[in-house]
Amino acid sequence: MTQGFLSKNPSVLWFLAALGLFTLCVTVLSETAGVGLLSTSFIKTLGKTLCLCLIAVAMDVVWGYCGILSLGHFAFFGIGGYAIGMWLMYARTEIIVIRSLNSAAIPPTPEEITDAVGQQIFGVVGATDFPWLWAFSDSLFLQLLMVVLVPGLLALAFGWLAFRSRVTGVYLSILTQAMTLALSLYLFQNDSGLRGNNGLSGLQNIPGFEKTPQAVISLWFFWASALALGLGYVLFAWVVSGKMGSVIRGIRDNESRVRFLGYHVETYKLFVFTLTAIVSGIAGALYYPQAGIINPAEVAPIASIYLAVWVAIGGRGRLYGAILGAAVVSLLSSWFTGGGAPNIPLGFYTIQWTDWWLVLLGFSFVAVTLFFPKGIGGLFDLVVRKGDQK
Amino acid sequence: MFSKLSITALATTALVGLASAAAAQDCPIKVGVLHSLSGTMAISETTLKDTMLMLIEKQNEKGGVLGCQLEAVVKDPASDWPLFAEKARELISNDEVVVTFGSWTSSSRKAVLPILEELNALYFYPVQYEGEESSRNVFYTGAAPNQQAIPAVDYFLEELGVEKFALLGTDYVYPRTTNRILESYLKDKGIAAEDIFVNYTPFGQSDWATIVSDVVALGADGKQVGVISTINGDANIGFYKELAAANVSADDIPVVAFSVGEEELSGLDTSNLVGHLAAWNYFMTADTPANAEFISAWHAYIGDEKRVTNDPMEAHYIGFNMWVNAVEAAGTTDVDAVREAMWGQEFPNLTGGTAVMGTNHHLSKPVLIGEIRADGQFDIISQTEPVPGDAWTDFLPESAVLTSDWKELGCGMYNTQTETCVQMKSNY
Amino acid sequence: MLRALIIALALCLPVSVAHAQSTGQSPTEDLQTVLQRHADEVANPGRRSVGDLIADLVGSGQPNVATFLERWQDKGVYQRSTDGLFFYAKRQGDEYALTNMTTGEPAGSVPTDIMTEIRPNGGVRRVIGAALVQFQLSDPDRARRVAALDAISRSPDADQIEPLRDSIEGEGDPVLRLRKERLAGHLRARFGKSTDDRIGAINELSSALDVETRSVLNLILTTTSEVAASVPEGTNVARILGVGTDISEAEAYARLVSANLAPAPIPRDAIKAALTANITDGRVGGIPVGQLGSEASRTAAYDALAAAGTVPPSVTAEIRRAALASNIFYDAYTEKDAAVTDAARAALDEVEARVARYQIIDISMDALSLASIYFLAAIGLAITFGVMGVINMAHGEFIMMGAYTGYVVQLFIPDYTISLLVALPLAFAVTFGAGVAMERLVIRHLYHRPLETLLATFGISIALQQLAKNIFGTQARPLTSPGWLDGAWVINDVVQIANIRIAIFVLALIFLGLILFVLKRTRLGLEVRSVTQNPGMAASMGINPDRINMLTFGLGSGIAGIAGVAIGLYAKVTSEMGSDYIVQSFMTVVVGGVGNVWGTLAGASLIGGLQKGIEFFNPSNTLAAQTYMILFIILFIQFRPKGIVALKGRAAGD
Repeated sequence: MTQGFLSKNPSVLWFLAALGLFTLCVTVLSETAGVGLLSTSFIKTLGKTLCLCLIAVAMDVVWGYCGILSLGHFAFFGIGGYAIGMWLMYARTEIIVIRSLNSAAIPPTPEEITDAVGQQIFGVVGATDFPWLWAFSDSLFLQLLMVVLVPGLLALAFGWLAFRSRVTGVYLSILTQAMTLALSLYLFQNDSGLRGNNGLSGLQNIPGFEKTPQAVISLWFFWASALALGLGYVLFAWVVSGKMGSVIRGIRDNESRVRFLGYHVETYKLFVFTLTAIVSGIAGALYYPQAGIINPAEVAPIASIYLAVWVAIGGRGRLYGAILGAAVVSLLSSWFTGGGAPNIPLGFYTIQWTDWWLVLLGFSFVAVTLFFPKGIGGLFDLVVRKGDQK
Repeated sequence: MFSKLSITALATTALVGLASAAAAQDCPIKVGVLHSLSGTMAISETTLKDTMLMLIEKQNEKGGVLGCQLEAVVKDPASDWPLFAEKARELISNDEVVVTFGSWTSSSRKAVLPILEELNALYFYPVQYEGEESSRNVFYTGAAPNQQAIPAVDYFLEELGVEKFALLGTDYVYPRTTNRILESYLKDKGIAAEDIFVNYTPFGQSDWATIVSDVVALGADGKQVGVISTINGDANIGFYKELAAANVSADDIPVVAFSVGEEELSGLDTSNLVGHLAAWNYFMTADTPANAEFISAWHAYIGDEKRVTNDPMEAHYIGFNMWVNAVEAAGTTDVDAVREAMWGQEFPNLTGGTAVMGTNHHLSKPVLIGEIRADGQFDIISQTEPVPGDAWTDFLPESAVLTSDWKELGCGMYNTQTETCVQMKSNY
Repeated sequence: MLRALIIALALCLPVSVAHAQSTGQSPTEDLQTVLQRHADEVANPGRRSVGDLIADLVGSGQPNVATFLERWQDKGVYQRSTDGLFFYAKRQGDEYALTNMTTGEPAGSVPTDIMTEIRPNGGVRRVIGAALVQFQLSDPDRARRVAALDAISRSPDADQIEPLRDSIEGEGDPVLRLRKERLAGHLRARFGKSTDDRIGAINELSSALDVETRSVLNLILTTTSEVAASVPEGTNVARILGVGTDISEAEAYARLVSANLAPAPIPRDAIKAALTANITDGRVGGIPVGQLGSEASRTAAYDALAAAGTVPPSVTAEIRRAALASNIFYDAYTEKDAAVTDAARAALDEVEARVARYQIIDISMDALSLASIYFLAAIGLAITFGVMGVINMAHGEFIMMGAYTGYVVQLFIPDYTISLLVALPLAFAVTFGAGVAMERLVIRHLYHRPLETLLATFGISIALQQLAKNIFGTQARPLTSPGWLDGAWVINDVVQIANIRIAIFVLALIFLGLILFVLKRTRLGLEVRSVTQNPGMAASMGINPDRINMLTFGLGSGIAGIAGVAIGLYAKVTSEMGSDYIVQSFMTVVVGGVGNVWGTLAGASLIGGLQKGIEFFNPSNTLAAQTYMILFIILFIQFRPKGIVALKGRAAGD
């Protein structure tokens, strides 16, 4: 079965090979294991980009293959980040607190430890008690479970409600946008128990590895991200191939006809929506320890729209297109806004890319939609087709 | 495998570290500027970026530092906390700046903290803040609560006879923590819990009608109401517009703001706001030769006679000059050497007197209270002697036992009861 | 003005002379001498300490005391640093023109740097104002009389009853007369001589609504929290508190402790400190130190120490319960007369019931105002969505363009009224043009790909937003409303609404009417409606759908521009203001049902009303209100996927 799947989809192998090669190159060039050409912060950027690629693939499956333009997938990404962030904060603070309390003559009681940890974590928001949301934060295993469960259940509930009422098209897009807006507004509140606007920070410090330099940790996360992307790619390539893939594409092209053919369209949509949400959550859980901080602005509606932009620029309906789009646009963004691009003096005015990058991105996005509806990935088609003609 | 890797890693980082230490003496010396130039905080932070560029330009005219010219590296973190962390890392590890001046909101400072402590970088934070922090790597040139909030509340209690408090704030760490300190302080002063009304609004809040009328209604029990505003950024515009529209006179309900200065008021018609208050360590109307010189230098630099100066600008002015002096004293830009040279640095305030950098990384500065005038400036109606900044407030039981002293104790969070260092690095 | 002053002085003279005689001071002492005696206090007055100075001033009987107090209050008094003398001064260029206070004669000009402006703070100004009351109550200048009444209402005092009552007779201004009578009523209610007098005054207050009256009643009803074994004789008890129902056990016990009726509980830290201090041979109270890592063992160790008498005994649950049971917790009125408090309570209940009714009206008006803003912001979007089936993500940026147009117009036309009149049509023209350009260049090519239109317009949105940043900077720009839009329409003390919000409401009404007129009564409207319902059929009837689409899009964008001016007037103009409104606008359109003006109106009213309604129940948390509102919308769409007013035709499909 696997043999057949892979031989039918040679692009998967190509992708895995490319990813492996890339990982190897980065590892060799990193400070930790090799020549030190790539700085730690650049490795973090690359690792984060891989996570963004993973959620872009998920977005491509749900939009490019199944036709649901979700403007809310970053909500799942953020939930994944928050879930892992809670454990990171709790465990890190607990270590500090216990070390401090142990210096007293009398061993600390569990209540003392909990209180001191709460004081440290929630002091910034003027509270000291642990909200119920943090009930499992002391257990890495349970929080990892949350990374998968919470986005999955949320997507299941939301999708079940929306698909059952046959909310489609632009309405569904707006509705998903409302979902992520509601989540971000909720998180912005201090009462939500997740430190409101401040978010969770210092996530790059992994409890138990205080002595390990960030150069090493960043590489671990880079590897983990690459592995997750590889697995995610194979998973989604499998989902969109074969008979199920045909049904999913059929839903995109004409939902009613697929329904008339006897398929239970809602179930398929729900499956795709939930699966991509779970993968998004995992991507987020890998992303935020590299970013170091998560706050509610991360799940604001704009983030999810950018996600759609990446996929559209990269090319919908092909998995490598989504990856191309996410990688190219997000890396270009940080290059331009980071002041990496040289300014262009025009004599009377100097174009500073930090100011003009978004203008360029916006208009190039319009151009892509108008002239290259298949995105960058579409260029491959041109090349391939030309090759065929010869 | 891993151990081998990490040994190599340590060796490489050590090498890189050595290399960068050596490189730090190379010209030009790079200075990072990390202020939001877009987003909701741009209203306050853009000016600080310009101030830093001006200070650096003037220093270069004087011959730079250690015979080197200074070069500013400006990044725009766009009022987005994760972006602050990302840009700080870029500044320190890619651009190899030796010091960074930045941040306005405490959330953005807390976002940057782990990066600073991880990479052992130097950071100057110029804004009044909530305290409860003393990082090895940060110098706080703005006011701690005992240098702004507490004196302002004392003024409310003593001079204005306020009996009922409305604490309005933007929803993030500075207002939350400051209000927690103030609530505890007010209760100590005999104000009942039901006489303290607390409200938080999101950044960029624009609909203030309900909140302002709620505040007016607080006066229904006949007590003198006062508002303590920790509203930040451009939300202030809507707040003051609504206040003016509701005709809330400063004689009936005085408002004291901790984050509103000349810059924020310059976008407003203040004729309806006359008499409302602000507490800072500096006002543009301060009548000293140093201030006159600073204002004219600022006007010349920015090319606009109408531009105003404000407290965080003074904080950057003091912080930058102290840093220059510390570097000259240490003879190097090396972070640890400069840090130690910073302790006890003195520099004249623009309002008169001398600011001194304490070993808890906070300045001692005088506290000023000003009343808004019709021209958007402040009348200074109260000025104290210099007050040393207190990193850990005395008005919260859990913080009262804490102290910070990097010179003698080598610790930013030292419990004087148990005589132990609670933590070396900050918890963010 | 000068004449008024002279009359004022003449009028107040007898009063002050009377004062001077009563305090027995020499009336010949001149003002400057009195001031010099208190020079520090004059230069640096404090609210608590300034009383002596003012008593002395008033007691001096000098005719110009009132003038001095007024000028002092208005920051018009200066001190000369060379000799410490006080003057009235006025800035003239680089110099101050001085006026001698005693004589009122000019006293020459001096350079600015030797004069120090004296700035009494708000608290001192209030004390000065109270002192001025007696001089100002019958002043011919209306503004002074108003100041005097303000001062009374800010710091009411029993001494003021007589002068106030005396001044009512001669009051010519009906508004002020009414206010004086009301204030006299307030004073009588609080400080009246007999119980009957006070009850009479209180009963008159029950028909009021204002904050001032409520504060008078509340002050009469001030209570203190008390605790005692039994309620002492003569206490005017407001209510007895039940422990566990009205007051939590912890709180009740804390009251007992602060009243010294029970021992303070020993906090965890203190127990820990006590245990630490009593470690002997690695044991505390017989328990090894290593086992003290739990609350139970710590308590046991502490009790062992307490039994040995080394530490004070801990407060057990039984002690607490017994202490709570043997005491009564109650609120007592500070006013001893029960008849007065009963009357005040009844009056206050009546007033508060009325306030609550008006509050509902007030919140409804706020909701209406919010709804009209949402309506203005969303109606353009609704039209384009309804007619063309595309969602324009750049709609918010059209709002922003309109607001910046208003800002630019104000740069050129300094008169705010004229500039507003210019800005409104200009904003419409600018955004109409931008909308038409966008339709022709981009949207026309994407007609059959609605989702891609959404994304392409998003691209335009981010580009426009950044362009605005590059052109106008990132800081908020002022868009000042004309003077006649400042202030508020005050119906009574509870119900009031800012004029600017009324203006926006009117604007929304005008546009509602205008759009309805265009759609229902004009040729264009007929064509728009036909294209909305069936574009193919409309085209075969000779209507050019391209032209209609273009015009509709222009119209929708133009209204967004007008909305931008309106929003900029009451909030702020920034490059990001569009994105603040875009999602709300989507919600409004989707909830209302696309392509229908009434639908948008319904959507805006529902969202505005809901948001204010939720805020009403949870006033300190506007974010929660927004969150719940969006959750409601998500659920609402599950049940009415096509919105409140569902439309048939092209837009009804997908």
